[in-house]
Amino acid sequence: MEYRLDRNVHSLLDPRTKLLLLFTSSVFVIGTAGEAWMTVFYWILVYLPVLLLFVEKEWKAGLVAIAIYIGSCYAQMALRHDLSALGSALALMLFIITKILPTVILARYIVKTTKVSEFLTAMNRMHITDKLTIPVSVIFRFFPTVVEESGAINDAMRMRGIEMGAQKATEAVEYRMVPLIASCSIIGEELSAAAMTRGLDVDKKRSCIWRLRFGIPDLIIIILCLACFVWWGIGRFFV
Amino acid sequence: MEKSNRLNAKDLINVGIYTAICAVICCAVAMTGVIPIMMVLLVVFVPILTGIPYMMFLTKVKKFGMILILNVLMGAFMWVTGMSYYALIVGTISGLAAELIYRSGNYSSKRLGIIAYAISGIYCWANYFGIFFNAEAYFSTRQNFGQEYIDSVTKMLPAWMCPVLLAVDIICGIIGGWIGTKALRKHFEKAGIA
Repeated sequence: MEYRLDRNVHSLLDPRTKLLLLFTSSVFVIGTAGEAWMTVFYWILVYLPVLLLFVEKEWKAGLVAIAIYIGSCYAQMALRHDLSALGSALALMLFIITKILPTVILARYIVKTTKVSEFLTAMNRMHITDKLTIPVSVIFRFFPTVVEESGAINDAMRMRGIEMGAQKATEAVEYRMVPLIASCSIIGEELSAAAMTRGLDVDKKRSCIWRLRFGIPDLIIIILCLACFVWWGIGRFFV
Repeated sequence: MEKSNRLNAKDLINVGIYTAICAVICCAVAMTGVIPIMMVLLVVFVPILTGIPYMMFLTKVKKFGMILILNVLMGAFMWVTGMSYYALIVGTISGLAAELIYRSGNYSSKRLGIIAYAISGIYCWANYFGIFFNAEAYFSTRQNFGQEYIDSVTKMLPAWMCPVLLAVDIICGIIGGWIGTKALRKHFEKAGIA
């Protein structure tokens, strides 16, 4: 059977657009720059990641995200007045959730839909040095691994009866950190061996089989991001 | 093996891995910031807990630039997760300083490694700049936590706490580095990983 590689199969957006969107989202949703002036853009940026998830047919993740978001929004409104110490801590937790959840979902979308080679090529075209892009792509690959490993180590230690918050706090920390680092450094060796075979060390320019191009969806998102910054600038300096 | 001074893929991957570990630890600690006292104690716990991975990382550093890249990435991480961009600026400068310190010992001195760790760790302290220099804007986004929370945080962080926190950060960095070295000797050198 003939095997044909479809070079146009990739996600809706270009990696560069995704990064711009992530940056915009972290400025305006997490950083809440502009506050009330930016309300319309704020809501667009909050719901856009979910829309993107739906486009990629991740129905479940998108719906769960919306449910958590709206739930914690309303819970926060209910908690607004005369807080006790416990209520205050709860409100803070909900506040953090509503603040970072949209960006977390966006980051998850980006990690899920961007191939490492796609990312490296896109960065290369923007003339960003390898010295930053390789560590960043390793971090993206590694973040879930670290969380996963530490969960597994946590289970193992609980089985041995070494609990967090027990009397020997230093021991509890040491018995978690040391295995975590040991296993991560072994995974790291494997990763660098894999990188060698992919020719990351060669000084020549690397090619990429995915066709990277800006399309109409990219255009819309880029215009949206620029509009955010322009509108914010107008509110900041002229009103 | 021939030793070249250019960073190769293996070095860069190591940087990525240890940045990821440090970032996860930072995240886990920062989540406890909901309790007002922990907000201040971040500057104690983050340097002590990231000590072990950082010292492990230093054993892999043999070329110029690795510490700097790690610090820049940590600063950028702090920025993206909504702390402040001060961390990126301070992190870059302190990373360069740490790099030079560790380099002066030919990338092998344990003692200089501890000092380099303590210096590079001050990006953690930079996260508080928002409270010190721009308190109203900082709390205007956090009205919902109740006045009690704001009061208790402000009470714990008057202006003179700024240099104190820096000192605490550096001291905890030294302690963390020392613990890291001990853990390294106890576990990793014997196992042949470090």
